[in-house]
Amino acid sequence: MNQPPKPWTKILMYVVLVLMTIFALYPVWFAVLAAGRPGQRLYTFDLMGMIVPTQWTWDNLRALLTETAFLTWIKNSLFVATATALAALFIGTSAAFAFSRFKFYGRQGGLILFLAIQAFPGILSLVPIAQILSAVGLYANHWGLIMAYLAGTLVFVIWNLKGYFDTIPIDLEEAAMIDGCDPIQSFVRVALPLARPALAVTLLFGFMAGWGEFFLANILIPAPDAKKTVMVGMYQMANEVNIPWGRFASGAVLVLIPIILIFLWLQRYLESGLTVGGVKG
Amino acid sequence: MVGWSGRRKNLTILAFVVPTLLAIAVFSVYPFIFNTFISLTNRSKFRPNPDCSVTIWRIVEPTCWLSTEQRGLAEPFTFSDPLLKNYGDLLGGLFTADALLALLRIGLIVAPLIVALVLNNRWGKRLSRPVSSGIVWLGGLVVTILLALPWLLDLPGAYQTLLESGDFIMVNVRTILYVVICMPLFFIFGLTMALILNNDYIKGRTFFRVILIVPWAASTVAIMMSLIWQFFFRGNGTINQFLAVLGIEGPTYLTKDVWAFFVVVLVNLWYTYPFFMVIILGGLQSIPPDLYEAAEVDGASWWQQLMNITLPLLRPAVLPAIVLSTLTTYKVDAVVWGITQGGPVKGADIPGFTEFVMVHAYKQIFQTRAYGRMGAFAVILFVVLFIATLYSLRITRITEGAYE
Repeated sequence: MNQPPKPWTKILMYVVLVLMTIFALYPVWFAVLAAGRPGQRLYTFDLMGMIVPTQWTWDNLRALLTETAFLTWIKNSLFVATATALAALFIGTSAAFAFSRFKFYGRQGGLILFLAIQAFPGILSLVPIAQILSAVGLYANHWGLIMAYLAGTLVFVIWNLKGYFDTIPIDLEEAAMIDGCDPIQSFVRVALPLARPALAVTLLFGFMAGWGEFFLANILIPAPDAKKTVMVGMYQMANEVNIPWGRFASGAVLVLIPIILIFLWLQRYLESGLTVGGVKG
Repeated sequence: MVGWSGRRKNLTILAFVVPTLLAIAVFSVYPFIFNTFISLTNRSKFRPNPDCSVTIWRIVEPTCWLSTEQRGLAEPFTFSDPLLKNYGDLLGGLFTADALLALLRIGLIVAPLIVALVLNNRWGKRLSRPVSSGIVWLGGLVVTILLALPWLLDLPGAYQTLLESGDFIMVNVRTILYVVICMPLFFIFGLTMALILNNDYIKGRTFFRVILIVPWAASTVAIMMSLIWQFFFRGNGTINQFLAVLGIEGPTYLTKDVWAFFVVVLVNLWYTYPFFMVIILGGLQSIPPDLYEAAEVDGASWWQQLMNITLPLLRPAVLPAIVLSTLTTYKVDAVVWGITQGGPVKGADIPGFTEFVMVHAYKQIFQTRAYGRMGAFAVILFVVLFIATLYSLRITRITEGAYE
């Protein structure tokens, strides 16, 4: 289908591209505009002000950083998401290796079980999880939230890394074992270093899953404000009586920009099908 | 693998997988067992506490693990009578004559489309076909629309009957309607953008490809981004302000059933089309160009090439994505929660038009606190999702490695 398109087809294609670009970017751009607009409202009666920044103030950002617990929420989210991703990677990598390399009873069943677990929404497990956590005293605690996230992230990590280990030729490990490595050494010394890029990408995706999660965090850490994660905090801010839209928008921009940058950076991995385990929201 | 076997091998494998199994047992398998037991009880906000002197709750209920003392003043919950009462409450409405008839009518209404699909598949294998695939589809569609009219099989009536057979069924019917509307849109938008970006004669393709996946990135913080989207559709939100400049007074989108529904469709389209675009683009790039050259020589039109080369060859790449996305769309939560919270509000405990399955579950558990019924809900949903997962595995064969 790669004939040179007729001129009017080409124009039509560019029109669609430009329209879709506006569609894709405007909501984010809108948040940027609202973040810099004086006063606590997202809207303006100035039509130009909805397209380009006609006025600009840093007050909203300053208020967000000084008058709300935003930075604490960010810190909490960073901690929870990082710890979840690291723990899942630490525990899951060896399991992924075992599922990729060893033949054992229950292997196939295990892989299917993992997928079924991933298909099952976490909201429906929330009551029992909340009860376990309060029984062991980890309710309203970051470690409890991390443990609640762990199972889901683990499944993602295992499927992802299993896929990657499957693509590493087994010959290298066999050579290492002939030279006297045991399976654990061949895992640690041969397979792990080879899988380093996949480990990094999996870590990032695992991190983002925890970073954007809302429902579990909302229930498992109800209070105090200083313990909430950023998604819960932002949601709560948008449900106040007089919604401080300016602050909300500044916070949204601060959260969005790094995520967009990470995504653009990881683009080629999105395309290479590393997302089989499904990170799509 | 060489050089090791027997007991040592088993121990090694155990060491590799035990931490994972432990975490999954506690946070995935145990909650499921718990839900199964709770689904058999009348636990609700009026009877929230277990009777710890009963052995089964001593074992299953975390609140009973540390002390057996009776908590709270309310009576403890007990097994329902009959035992499967919660399941009956949820699904009972489906097994009445009216509801079954409505299902049958809906089945008959979509039958012409299935016939068209089968016919096209069969004729597609022949060298020359009696009529083109477009006409077969058109015919199927016309018959379907005719059948759906009120004085034949009455699709709106059947839909209404299903809505009246209980909240659970109502919520499911709406969710399935939502999925059925969303999926073709996701695919068509993804395909259109992928076809444009795959055209060698378009400049700046890399730039557009990067820009157009921004919504996918935003979907990782869906709850927050949806709050921004929600603002667009408020009574005095952005859309209405643009309309006001043109002298049009827009509706308050989020308080009208159909508007709210389509706002949620639109926003989910925004989040999801980049995923389809990327997957389809990958598929397009794996189609050998000689096929198009050969088709060109044979005089095939652009549309014929699309129908007979591009779409069939995209199938292996796109089908897994469609299955995965169908499941995630069915389970849509944060997008709806950020925009409508399941509204427009009809009254306490009446599901709004956008209260899809997961939103309904969330509200029932944490607002109505119907724990027993939601336990049954979880079990039913698990069975459905488990079957769907097995089916999707069959399609995608991503477990090929596991089956060898």
